[in-house]
Amino acid sequence: MSTVDHYLNHILTTAADEARTDGTTTIEAHHLLLAIARDGSPALTAAGLDHTTIRTALDHEFTTSLAAAGVHLAGALPLPTTPPTGSPQLGTTARTALERGLATARRKRDCTPAHLLLGILLTPVGTVPRALDLAGIDRTALTDAVRRETTDDH
Amino acid sequence: MSVEIPASGEVADRLAAIGALRHLADRLEDTAVEEAMRTGWSWPQVAEALGVTRQAVYKKHAQRLIAAGVTLRRRSG
Repeated sequence: MSTVDHYLNHILTTAADEARTDGTTTIEAHHLLLAIARDGSPALTAAGLDHTTIRTALDHEFTTSLAAAGVHLAGALPLPTTPPTGSPQLGTTARTALERGLATARRKRDCTPAHLLLGILLTPVGTVPRALDLAGIDRTALTDAVRRETTDDH
Repeated sequence: MSVEIPASGEVADRLAAIGALRHLADRLEDTAVEEAMRTGWSWPQVAEALGVTRQAVYKKHAQRLIAAGVTLRRRSG
């Protein structure tokens, strides 16, 4: 198994835990981002993003999106007392992000953790870009920084 | 939670709202079904209340509730 396979397995396992905390067994792109942040990423840290700030940004995106439908949460979302069981599965947004990340590497064995993060950041619409925008993150600058990381490695 | 329907909004916001509402509905369903089963509702009653089949609600929730140690009434109950 290559280094990136080990990293990917580790990130997917962490992302599955993030999904379960969210009450689902479906891993989405934002769960991958949380997993990468938990593992540690120089580019995310430089942009002032860690697991806590990303979780806060995602929660803000959620309440903002609900508000667009006229739904205002007073207080926290009810948490199930039991986490979901069953095998984790990749949702569409996570699958697309991984494909985008792999596509930025010339060959799969050239793929690094930065390529995976780049795949998530290249997502043009959806939860992740909305959350980052709402948090005031310069996505273009962050994406450029991560892209530089991908080329620094080779 | 209060609900008011805005007259309009950006389409990106309205699309995102749909995803958020689905997530909210799933979370509300998880907690409500668990509470119902803990307080003695049967699968057919929960299914009918949700407007879905018994099989659907059982498949979606049984494994999680059994793992949580909830005493479940028989499916035919």
